[in-house]
Amino acid sequence: MDETTKTLSRRNFLRASAAAMTAAAGVPALTGLVSTGHAAAPALQAGPITDHYTACDMCFNRCGMIARVQNGRVIKLDPNPKFLKSRGMLCARGNAATAHIYDPDRLKHPLLRKGARGEGKWQRLSWDQALDHTAEQFERIAEKYTRCGVMFSPGSDMQSQFLIRFAEVFGSYNITSHETLCLLSNARAYLDTFGETPYPDVLYTKYIIIAGANPFEAIITPDTIDLMEARKNGCKIVVLDPRYTKTAAMADEWFSIRPHTDMAFFLALAHVIIHEGLYDRQFADEMLFGLEELRAHVREYSPEWAAGETGIPAEDIRRIAREIAAAAPTAMVYTGRRTSDYEDSSQIRRSMAIVNALLANWDRPGGILASREVGVRAPYFDIPWYDDNPDDRIDHGMAPGLIHHEGSFKLMRDAIIKEEPYPIRGWFTFKTNFMQTAANRKKTIEMLDHLDFIVNADIAMTDTAWYSDLLLPSPSFLERNDPVSALQGSSACACAIWRDAVVPAMYESRDMRWICTELSKRLGFPETFDFTIDQYREWQLASIPEAAQAIKEDGVYYNPSKVYGIYFDVPLKTQAQKIELYNQRYANMGLDPMPTYKPPRREEGKLRLVVGRTAFFTHSNTNNALLIEFEEENTLWIHPKTATRMGFGDGERVFVTSGVAQVELALKFFEGIEKDTVYMATGFGALSPGQRLVHNRGASIAEVLEDHVDHISGNMAMHETLVTVSRKVG
Amino acid sequence: MSEKLIHRHDKLSIFIHWFNAFCWIALLLTGLGLIKNDQLNPLGAWWPNLMRALFGGGENLLAVHQYLGLIWAGVFVLYVLLKPRETWLFLKEVFTVSPSRDMTWFMKMNLKMTMGKKGFQRFGMTPDMPPQGFYNFGQKLFAQATVLGGIVIVVTGVIMFLSPIMLDNPDPAAWSRTIHYLTVGLVTAGMLVHIYMAAISKEEKPAFKSMFTGTVPEHYAKHHHQLWYEEVAGEERKVEG
Amino acid sequence: MKKYAMVVDSSVCIDCKGCMVSCKVQNNVPKGYWRNWIKHTTPDFSLGKLTRTHFQPGGCMQCDVPTCVTACPSGATFKDRETGIVHVNESLCIGCGNCVRACPYGARYRHPEKRVPDKCDFCFSSGRLARGLVPACVDTCPTKARVFGDLNDPDSEVSRLLREKTTVRVTSKNIDTQPNLYYIAATEPADWPGDVEYPQAYSVMASLVNPLVTVAVGLSALGVAGMWAKQAFAPDPPDPEDDEHEANPPESTVSKQD
Repeated sequence: MDETTKTLSRRNFLRASAAAMTAAAGVPALTGLVSTGHAAAPALQAGPITDHYTACDMCFNRCGMIARVQNGRVIKLDPNPKFLKSRGMLCARGNAATAHIYDPDRLKHPLLRKGARGEGKWQRLSWDQALDHTAEQFERIAEKYTRCGVMFSPGSDMQSQFLIRFAEVFGSYNITSHETLCLLSNARAYLDTFGETPYPDVLYTKYIIIAGANPFEAIITPDTIDLMEARKNGCKIVVLDPRYTKTAAMADEWFSIRPHTDMAFFLALAHVIIHEGLYDRQFADEMLFGLEELRAHVREYSPEWAAGETGIPAEDIRRIAREIAAAAPTAMVYTGRRTSDYEDSSQIRRSMAIVNALLANWDRPGGILASREVGVRAPYFDIPWYDDNPDDRIDHGMAPGLIHHEGSFKLMRDAIIKEEPYPIRGWFTFKTNFMQTAANRKKTIEMLDHLDFIVNADIAMTDTAWYSDLLLPSPSFLERNDPVSALQGSSACACAIWRDAVVPAMYESRDMRWICTELSKRLGFPETFDFTIDQYREWQLASIPEAAQAIKEDGVYYNPSKVYGIYFDVPLKTQAQKIELYNQRYANMGLDPMPTYKPPRREEGKLRLVVGRTAFFTHSNTNNALLIEFEEENTLWIHPKTATRMGFGDGERVFVTSGVAQVELALKFFEGIEKDTVYMATGFGALSPGQRLVHNRGASIAEVLEDHVDHISGNMAMHETLVTVSRKVG
Repeated sequence: MSEKLIHRHDKLSIFIHWFNAFCWIALLLTGLGLIKNDQLNPLGAWWPNLMRALFGGGENLLAVHQYLGLIWAGVFVLYVLLKPRETWLFLKEVFTVSPSRDMTWFMKMNLKMTMGKKGFQRFGMTPDMPPQGFYNFGQKLFAQATVLGGIVIVVTGVIMFLSPIMLDNPDPAAWSRTIHYLTVGLVTAGMLVHIYMAAISKEEKPAFKSMFTGTVPEHYAKHHHQLWYEEVAGEERKVEG
Repeated sequence: MKKYAMVVDSSVCIDCKGCMVSCKVQNNVPKGYWRNWIKHTTPDFSLGKLTRTHFQPGGCMQCDVPTCVTACPSGATFKDRETGIVHVNESLCIGCGNCVRACPYGARYRHPEKRVPDKCDFCFSSGRLARGLVPACVDTCPTKARVFGDLNDPDSEVSRLLREKTTVRVTSKNIDTQPNLYYIAATEPADWPGDVEYPQAYSVMASLVNPLVTVAVGLSALGVAGMWAKQAFAPDPPDPEDDEHEANPPESTVSKQD
């Protein structure tokens, strides 16, 4: 595709330009004082531009993009208009991927640690040396501590599936990734209510309550865009958040709810809906299990009671309950995503799921939808049996609702430190950065002291990489051929995508498939990775052979599968085969079968610390020259009244002390935050000097947050930390 | 004609004069083409439009103007460096003013040129002019204006040239242009008189010719630059005697 | 002939900064500078649950009365009659900064390396328009708050929006710059552009120096014309001295080479 591009360049001496000649011919000015001219048409200068479909990797969303490449360099990333999941848009983060891939801080060669961990002394290795060393270490650990002695953290990359396959064939059950710091509570709650982790059909909804989520700011596709479309079409948006977020700023109503009281609000909604008989009786008869138990359970949870807990007036709660019930079934409590908030987050999210159930919005337009058929298969491979392996994952049984294939990083970390039930001595991490994302960084470092060998594959020197023993440089998402990924999102899509390299892999970076292939040869199971990427994709698309062509032509394939009514005449995957308002399994395990409210922990003089993200925050990729301009350092948001009462001024640098650490942050006065709550953004305070834009800048949530855990799912509970704010001395 | 000719200008001076004249005219014309703004447009919009058309765009016009200006200034700098004595003598000559004699000359000359000799005499003044040196006071004034103005023009020009190359503060360039324009305007006003006197006025024909030949007729020297003539004649006599 | 314009529905802007980064990458805008922006109202928290913030995306308004063009003595900044876009010819610019100050919107900045003004040109010079692509900010916007098109084309989306919707423009207090960036319905904040103030170096040049130079050169020209007229139509009788010399060639009293 030809392209002409230039700017009116400086001092191109005597460049004859026909366009400029016409300019000089002169025309009467548009108005008296305006001299006009004609801009020189962009001249051929820098070479042709080619366009390539790909999918973003700056967060988990995988939005469709078109990479514009000139002279072998990605010069611009634009949205793929045919990509329905992302609705033809690209956010600030996606646009900033050029700075991500051309980051001077990228890892360039395999590096072996010299000196102590975190000291930053490295020796360059060849790939052969690096792979030999990894294989040797894994074999040594396997021999001494069994194959489960190596933990795998495959990240959420499109190539993570190769590392998972590798881990399984190698023989370790101990696989965990960032999900256990993120969405497990929500997944648990909906699995235990609907038997599915649903997708909210935001686009068509008419009434939405958003609690513990911030979709206008922490962008999630297509929900963010669909929420705006719904709003344009008259959807009412009610936001509960102790902090005035951008979602709150755009809502019809925003309630500065006291943190950790959301369950009270939703139980009160259930109270009103049930006791005023505002639910769909026929739906209740056919689909709900345990309505009578719930009716009795929520009797005490009146709006008046909830008002005392939440700080939201009872009349508002009652009114909202009536409004949303009137809008049902095209109404919803937004399901959200990151729910690693409280020790009872699974139950909090259950209370939301129950309200959704009462709205009868399951499997219906504008409601919450079941997974659709995409048609992408996971290619089969043999998983060998190793006799000496322990019975199960290291964190098995440590949380009653542990999701088996995710586990719990928090619980695994504790187990590794205790070396019980068995020791883990090796760790393979790929594009995931627990040192920066998991609460209580000191404990993560303590865990590292129990590990003999840490190998990390990433594109940059993250904090986790900085504390590793061997670094394997990875190509960025624009430099490799990825397998097919299936994506879903509301009614927008059930789609399949892959990525082809847009530019060649930089430096000595190698993708995870190659690394797994090479390691599998050294570890004696070469047949597991004996395939080309094309073969692998063919296996994945065996049931939808037409997909390959579509992906090549449009960058995406849509499966025209059923959107609504998937469960029409099909029993739900719960024990009752209905929507379980009352969860029988919980009852059997001695857990509350219905969410039971417990007031939040309060301590005199302490403030609850909540964390969150911005529209330009990219997890551990915050070290991005383009995005860092919007926020160069994180601050502690505090209500001016709270701060003044404590004698602090706006912008003052203070110590923030939790039960596990003390960090230094500047205060940011913000009237829109609940008075006993403080907030800080994630992504700053990196230990690694290889993250030069965030190294020692601001503070890391991983350092200051205490490592509480969701008792049911094992998910991290990141909003349970109470902090004191004190004057910086000296 | 066998009239005795007196040497007045050497070849370098002649070259410098005409080089200067050429540069001035060229820079003035291109410079006028660089102003394109309906609040300014000294000659109207047609001029910048024409110049830009001729040069294939304003950017080329600017480049020509800038590099010609730099060459112009460079030649003078070179001259000053290579000929410090001549420069010094020239500046001394030009800036040495005898208030009584030169002012009288200036007043009388102006009246004479505009009213004519008769009118002149009507006011009871004698037609004799006070004796003048190598340059008459009018020439001195114009030379002073060109020297001082030239310095201002070069300095402001260089500032404008450097502004997009190395100056972080745009204000010097903004003011430079205003001053550049002002100075050029004032010197141009003087230059019109200079051109008239030299090229059109009959009286100064010999001076005009001398800018090609380097010599003036003796009687012209005697009458128009008496003090210089006497000086030269005195030296000759000394040599002869 | 086109007249490009942008119609913005600021009510759907979520302040995600996508447009700002997209523009920055497309046009190589240096660190610390922006060609476009998102402004916002200050939320009034006394409104409680009804507290709102209105975000307002913007950029160069490609005005029909561009004060930046007025402030540019050389025409290096000009309004392209083919597109309505206000451009900077960087090669003609001497980097005086007049236009940067004359813009009441702050839509221009002086490029720290090129030291000439840089501004939104609807992605013209990046080649997007030539490729048939909309400006980078428009393309990337999640909520499609920005709509770009040709006002001279009645079928364009911008023309349709201007026909069908009430729109407002944000202008300076003392000069209506007639911007070509329209906001649908009411936008906020609306009073942020200051008065247009031309930089002193320009005001002095336009209101003082220019008349002065015109008068000086004019007077001089008049004087010269007078002298010429005098010489041509009422010449003085020949100077007796000159006559004498012409009639009687002088004796050589001084000899010289040549």
